[in-house]
Amino acid sequence: MNNWILQTEGLTKKLGGKAVVNDLNLKMEKGDIYGFLGPNGAGKTTTIRMLLGLAKPTQGRIRIFGKDMQKERMAVLRKVGSLVEYPSYYGHLNAIENLEAVRRLLGVPKSRIDEVLSVVRLTKDAKRPVKGYSLGMKQRLGIATALLGQPELLVLDEPTNGLDPAGILEIRELIKSLPREQGVTILISSHLLSEIEQMATRVGIITKGRMIFQDSIDTLRERAQSKIRIGVSDPEAAWKQLLAGGYQADWDRRKLTIDRAPNETVAAMIASLVKHNFSVYRVEEEGASLEDIFLDLTGGEGSL
Amino acid sequence: MVRMFRSEWLKLRKSVIWLLAVVSPLLAALVGILSILDDAEIIGGSPWLYALSMMAALHAMLFLPLLTGVYAALVCRYEHAGGGWKQLLSLPVSRSQVYLVKFAFIMLLLAITQLLFLAALLGIGLSLGFPGPIPWKEIIVACLGGWIACLPLAALQLAVSTAWSSFAAPLAVNVIFTLPNMLVANSAEYAPYYPWVQPMLAMMPRDEMSFGAFNVSPVTLFAVIGGSFLLFLASGWTYFSKKAV
Repeated sequence: MNNWILQTEGLTKKLGGKAVVNDLNLKMEKGDIYGFLGPNGAGKTTTIRMLLGLAKPTQGRIRIFGKDMQKERMAVLRKVGSLVEYPSYYGHLNAIENLEAVRRLLGVPKSRIDEVLSVVRLTKDAKRPVKGYSLGMKQRLGIATALLGQPELLVLDEPTNGLDPAGILEIRELIKSLPREQGVTILISSHLLSEIEQMATRVGIITKGRMIFQDSIDTLRERAQSKIRIGVSDPEAAWKQLLAGGYQADWDRRKLTIDRAPNETVAAMIASLVKHNFSVYRVEEEGASLEDIFLDLTGGEGSL
Repeated sequence: MVRMFRSEWLKLRKSVIWLLAVVSPLLAALVGILSILDDAEIIGGSPWLYALSMMAALHAMLFLPLLTGVYAALVCRYEHAGGGWKQLLSLPVSRSQVYLVKFAFIMLLLAITQLLFLAALLGIGLSLGFPGPIPWKEIIVACLGGWIACLPLAALQLAVSTAWSSFAAPLAVNVIFTLPNMLVANSAEYAPYYPWVQPMLAMMPRDEMSFGAFNVSPVTLFAVIGGSFLLFLASGWTYFSKKAV
């Protein structure tokens, strides 16, 4: 046995003959904040619904805490808290009653209600009917509900969807604090890389139902190698000149770039351009952002 | 199962559902009073049974089937609104339990409705000073029979309400099928198999009515009710257990 807290093997879901989730091998370690990234419609929510036993996989297996999800669904779900897409709530009840309705099903002590309310800082508004809550507050109540059963794994599907920037910041800080304070492992899905980037320790990128990248966030960052861009008169001729001089250079019809190189090499390249009467306007470092990599990986489909 | 029941209770306790349970018996009572005052002299048999048949005509023909649909839609309502099924079913609960508890709640609400109807009838009889002993047997049989006759309809409406993620659509279906009740009741051939008219057939005192399907023997009627109930419950339950949420 290994120490994966969640693992899928060849997870596939076909809807109407089309594979919405295709041969997915997702792996999470204990203590991870796993960012599950992909453009809208890539199969994130479908995957999460299968992880929670809400939909049946067409093929493949899901193991959570080393247990087979299909066979030991109840035992697994007892230790999983989730928030899928939109927070679900009973609008005519207040926050305490909403939590109580779930608490009765989980059979955890009543004191948990106050605890989770204070974690999401809703204690003050706990006695108001939930229908009067802002979206951010409802989202926090959703997270409180997910935390109620003291889960070891928390699954949050697009938890910042539809929130304003302040709400997003609030939820993000809350999520970041959870592994530290509650000792949970978190799977969080999003179509926003910038969101995940600030929280996740591990990233899985899915597009068209397939996992195209899965590794630590640092590995993803390493891909963001910087390049040096040269602003020059007649860049195409300059590019040919550089190639003729035996240097590496790229010309994509818009800009002339060279890969990161030692200072001396860069200096020699510039000198050779100047010698051949090119006017050099700029030599600047250009860091490829994670967004660029994301777009690159998802074939330009990613929404920003 | 008990936990599930208590959780469900919490959701329904504070809803408008309770107002609805009172409406039908009240309206039926009104009809009962008016018809008694109107026909006071023509009554040959027991005024109790006369009042029962008048009240049941409105209550069982129209309101009871309608309420069954309303209750079925209501117990699913909070789950339909805002992805509640996802939350509920991703908790460690079995789907069968969820379904059966929802069904139990519909039947509980219907039982309360029937008790209120009984209370309304007794209230009228006692306050207007009906002569003679209270025909307990007929009254209880009518109320209980009406309740049992709601079983298949409740199972059917719960299946429709869970399958259709909308509050209004199952209700509309229910109304459409309830309205022709008066016509259907006249057909001895079809009425026993028509779930919406069964409460009426079961609730009307047999001596008072002797046309159309009211001549169908109670044994046949309840055999059909029992059979269709099992069929509807089993199919709705199976569907719900397999449904992707």
